[in-house]
Formats: sequence, C-alpha cells, structure tokens
Amino acid sequence: MRKILTVIRKEYLERVRSKSFVIGTLLGPALMSMFILVPVLLVDKGGDDARTVGVIDPTGLYFDSLAEVLVDQGRGQVELELIEAGSVEESLTLMKESILDESVHSGILIAADFLDSGKATFYNKSVSAGIMRDDVLRPALNRVLREERFAAAQVPDTLFAYLAARTIWTNIGLTAEGGEEEQHEDVGFIMAFVLIMIIYIMVIMYGSHTLTAVIEEKSSRMVEVLLASISPGDLMLGKVMGIGMAGLTQFAIWTAAFFAISQRGISVGELNFDTAFMTPVILINFIAFFLLGFFLYATLYAGIGAMCNTVQDSQQFHTPLVMGLVLPMMMLSLVLKAPDSTLVVVLSLVPLFSPVIMFMRVCVETPPVWQIGLSWLLMAGSIWLAARMAGKLFRMGILMYGASPTWATLIRVLRD
Amino acid sequence: MTRPTLELPPVGETVLTVDSVSKSYGNVHAAREVNLKIPRGSIYGFLGPNGAGKTTTIRIIMKIILADSGSITLAGRPLDGDMRDRIGYLPEERGLYRKMKCLDQLSYLAELKGVPRGEARKRADAWLTRMGLEEWRDRKVDSLSKGMQQKIQFAATFISEPDLVILDEVFSGLDPLNIELLRDMILQEKEKGTTIIFSTHMLAEAEKICDAICLIEGGEIILDGPLEKIRADFPLESVRVAWEGNPEPPADLPGVLHREKSEGSWRLTLAEGVNPRELLPNLMAFGPLTLFSANRPSLSEIFLEAVSRHRKGVQS
Repeated sequence: MRKILTVIRKEYLERVRSKSFVIGTLLGPALMSMFILVPVLLVDKGGDDARTVGVIDPTGLYFDSLAEVLVDQGRGQVELELIEAGSVEESLTLMKESILDESVHSGILIAADFLDSGKATFYNKSVSAGIMRDDVLRPALNRVLREERFAAAQVPDTLFAYLAARTIWTNIGLTAEGGEEEQHEDVGFIMAFVLIMIIYIMVIMYGSHTLTAVIEEKSSRMVEVLLASISPGDLMLGKVMGIGMAGLTQFAIWTAAFFAISQRGISVGELNFDTAFMTPVILINFIAFFLLGFFLYATLYAGIGAMCNTVQDSQQFHTPLVMGLVLPMMMLSLVLKAPDSTLVVVLSLVPLFSPVIMFMRVCVETPPVWQIGLSWLLMAGSIWLAARMAGKLFRMGILMYGASPTWATLIRVLRD
Repeated sequence: MTRPTLELPPVGETVLTVDSVSKSYGNVHAAREVNLKIPRGSIYGFLGPNGAGKTTTIRIIMKIILADSGSITLAGRPLDGDMRDRIGYLPEERGLYRKMKCLDQLSYLAELKGVPRGEARKRADAWLTRMGLEEWRDRKVDSLSKGMQQKIQFAATFISEPDLVILDEVFSGLDPLNIELLRDMILQEKEKGTTIIFSTHMLAEAEKICDAICLIEGGEIILDGPLEKIRADFPLESVRVAWEGNPEPPADLPGVLHREKSEGSWRLTLAEGVNPRELLPNLMAFGPLTLFSANRPSLSEIFLEAVSRHRKGVQS
C-alpha cells in the first residue's frame, strides 16, 4: 500500500509542479468559456447578417404586409426588395440576374392568384437558402395569406384576433422537496452541456496523460527496475490515481472559480447563469461520472501504453477509445428528445458511454435510481477489469521491446 | 508495510536456492530444470552466450516473469511480495527518469524498496557523495553524462541495502576507469556479507571477480560450482614451452597432439591422459629450456569445452 502511495505522490507532484499544469489551469476556463459562449452568442444573434430577398408581387397587394409581418416576427434583419420591371417575365429575368450576381440573396414570386391558390415560388442559388425559406419566409407568408383570407371573408377584427390566438405556456419544474420553480430550459441545457464538456475534455486530456506516462516508463527503460520493486497492478493503480488526483486538483480549482463568479451572476445575452441548476443530485453525479469516467478511460489508456513503445505505436489503439467518448456526444440530441426510451436507457448503461449519456439523462430528467446505481456499478466493474488487463499487458509488454504491437498480439496476450 | 527482516545464514552457507525452475514459451525452453544454490557473501557469475537464458532466469528470480514450475527461496523463505525488497536488481535494460532530479530519483527508487522517506533521502545524499556526484544532486538526470547516469543506476541498486544483488551485464558500455571503480564497490559490498549475482557474457570480467559460477546454455545449467573446483575438473591440456635460440620443436614429439607458436613461445596440446611431467625429459633433450609452464585453462576454454561436451551429450 505504501508503495502505491509513493507512486501516487511522485506522479501527482510531477504533474502539479509542471509549467503546463499552471498554464493549463489558468487558460482552461478561458478556452472553456469560448467553447460555450461563442455558440450561445452566435445563436443569440440569429446567426445571420442582414439579407435582402427580392419579391415579385404582380398584384402589389402583399409586399407591404409581408414586410410588416417579418418585423413583427422578429426577422427584421431580412430586408425585402420589390422587383418591378414591366411584365412579370421581365421582373423574373431581372430577379434571376440579381440572385446570380448576389445583389439579392434569393427571391420570391408571389402568384397573381395568391389569395385563391396560395402559391409562391422561391428562387435561390444555394442549398442553404432553404433554411431562409422554411424558417423565415414560409411562416411570414403563411400569416399574410391567413390575414388576407380573413379580410376577404370579411371576418370582424375582434373575431380574427380571437381565432388567431396562440397558447401561452409557463413551465413549472417539480423538485423532490415538493417545491415548484419556473424553469429556464435554455440555461439548463447549456449548463448540462458545459458539465458534459468538462467531463469529456478532462477524461480525454488526463486519460492520454496516463498513456504517455506509461510509455515513458518503457521508453526510459525503467519498467524492469520498477517491476523488481512493485507489482505491475500496483504500479498501474498508483500512476492512474496520481494523474487522476492532479486532474481533480485542476477540476476543483476551476469549479471553485466558477462558483465564485456565478455567485455574482453571469449573464450572456438573455441567459442568466446561476448555481440553482447545480442541485445536489446533479453535483454528486457530476463528480461520480467524472471520477468513474476518468478511471475507466485512464486504465484503458494505461493498458494501451503498456503495449506500446512509442506514442506513435499507440495511435491505432487510441482512435477506438476516443470514439467511446465522441459517439455519445453525437447522440446527445437523441437523449434530449427521448431520455427514457429503451435505446437511450441501454446506451446509458454501456460503461464507455455512461459518463456522457447517463449524466445527460440525469441533467434532463431524473432517471430511476437503480439505473444510475447500475451504471456506477458497471463502470466500477469495468475499471477493475481494465486495471487487471493493464497490469497483465504491462508485465508482458516488457518482453516486447522493439516490435510494434498489433491487434493480434493484444488479443493473444489477453487470452494467455 | 515494513521491510521483512531475514535470518541470514552465515557467510558461505546457501542463501538463495533455485529449485527445478522451468519456463517455456511455446516450444522454446527458456529455462529447463534450473537448480542453483548460491552461498552468502559470494560473487556468483551467471555465464553463457547471448540468448542462453541468463536474463530469463534472473527475471524469474525477480518474479517479473512467472515460472511454469519450481520454487525459489531466499534464506529459506519463499520469494514473493515484499521479500523482493531484500533484493537489488540492475537489469540489462536499465534507464532513469530523464526529467527527475538525481536526489529525487534515488530516494524514489529506495522508497519503492520500502525504505522510509526520510531515510531514503539521507541515503541518496550519502550515495551521491560516495559516487562523487554531490554537486549534481539537484540537477536533472538529463544533464548528466552517460557514465554518471550509470553510477546513479548502480547506486540505486545498492541504496536499499539489499541482502542479494543481481547485476545483469553491469559493465557493458563503461570505460575502464569506471569499471575499476564499480568493481571496487562490488567487492566492498561483498565484504559486508552481501551476496552478488553477476551475469555477463564477458568471461574475462567474470574470471577476475567471481568466486563461483554457473554456465547457462539453451536454458540449462551445464556447469556450476566454485571457480577453483571447476578448473580442477578441466585438467591441463596444454603446456607453454620456449627454448634458447627459439628453435622449432619437432612435429612428432611423443604425447603431443598439436603445436602452435604464439608470442615467442610454443603452445603444445597434450594427448589425453598425458602428464606434463612425462613430457619434460623429451623437451629438455631438444635444447635448454627458457620457459615451461602448465597452461591453466582459461574460463573461455572451459566454457567452449563445456558447451561442446554438452552439445555432444544432447546429440547422443
């Protein structure tokens, strides 16, 4: 036991005292906030510059209403330009030229019998213009059509307002203590995403530290000296724990800083970040999934390192591991849509995916306690298994100086 | 965890026993029924050509490789877990942490052998002084010359004050001055009652330093025991002779199989069972002798002879 502590101490101090640790600790939050704030700010801005859309309106009845509706719907940055050049055909030719020379972004031809047929034609030269059509122009033109038809049917204004009503929602989240609070889903989602990004980055970063630390033992030819003093399993454990604690130190510094700042409240656009999101359940799971995720990936990385003589050797084994973290990131929208579907429940129990998927589920709903417990248990079991494998590979690895490892040797060693 | 205390036998009695240890990889026998009894306070040579199984045997003793069968005891106790802390091991594949300071490095390796932290640092300091490296204590290993690094590795092996030390090809790559220095240190440690296993393929080195040897070939021990006893088992097979005026001896001297001139004298290989004394009158008859010496077989001659006898034995 004391030998494990000796290894932990060495690995921990070596990291915490390094320049890169200090720099990383200072720069980390800056990078992290860029990750988070840049997308938020972009979404907030609507993501588009002022764009001009050409409109051919043969009847001259709809152009003004369309412009008004756009402003009303908060799409004032889209400007409309009425195109008139004699006949409809001539206007169309002019509009097509304008689209091609990019003086307008795209164009609409409102049919002469729009009131009856509801027909409009959209002209564009890029596929992405479809987003403009569906998100901006279609809703606006729909409303123009509706209003014009109500007017044509001589529906009184009061009745029109009554019919055009929309539902108004308030969202109440129930807390376990029986309380109620108004939810801000945007903030909740962004906070969940921030926490998952922290888990993701820390696990990849410190996991690969373990890989290089193990390879260092081999490239510096220390393996055999060390194995004469300490068992490979203990050595692996000491290394993983020492590096993990260095990660945890950095993590604690960041979390403390984040809390200190969020006490004063952070506002980004219309979103207010506060600590209310960090319920004890989320906090406990955050720490648990960070630790379990780190130890699982770090021991797997250590096992890979034990096989390889150089970092280059390790690349081929590295990619599948990283996929274990990247895949669940890609599945996040699935989790958001249906956090309790069978598929998501099963995926969230896969130990390699749990740190991202199960934790996301914890953030967006409250999964049954047994499922959370089971995922903890499965991860702990996998760590134990991975540590044994890594120890075995490390012992075998010293006999494999020179030859670069292949999947075949990996499997053969594990089967022995 | 405390370092196990051992009841060591008196100097000269068996301290390490290797009992019918075998290890094979598929069809390759890396060690075959290896039996060894190594006396305390001796320098015991593991000799054999490259790839003979010396390192494998050592790794089995250190439990780095697990044997298929057999047992190993140190002072009568099975060699496992913390018992390894009583052994210092300097492998052939050896290195240091390049970015670590010399003092930290030595004390870390001592701590891993179970020496308490404070004591480990004290001893590291003392060893650096003994090696003449006290000025380098807070420098990184990176900045040391290769010779200095080898001294650090050597110190790291002895810093835990082990009862048994295993040195695998310890002199390879060292300059003669450092070889001399380390040889003296090995002898000093031996005087303290430390047992030393000295593995090498350089027979001349072994001859200078070892009290006893074993010869490993193809994973088997084909010869072992005190150096003097082994020499006695390989009787004289040649004499060295020179005459005044350097004449060439006749080719048909009775009892001589072969003659060979080297460095101004003649080496005469004797026929089997011929006593050098029987030869003397004939030689004196040929002319006044200036040199007549019984040619002690060198370790490498014994080595070659033993290997060829063994291979013949295996074939028949």
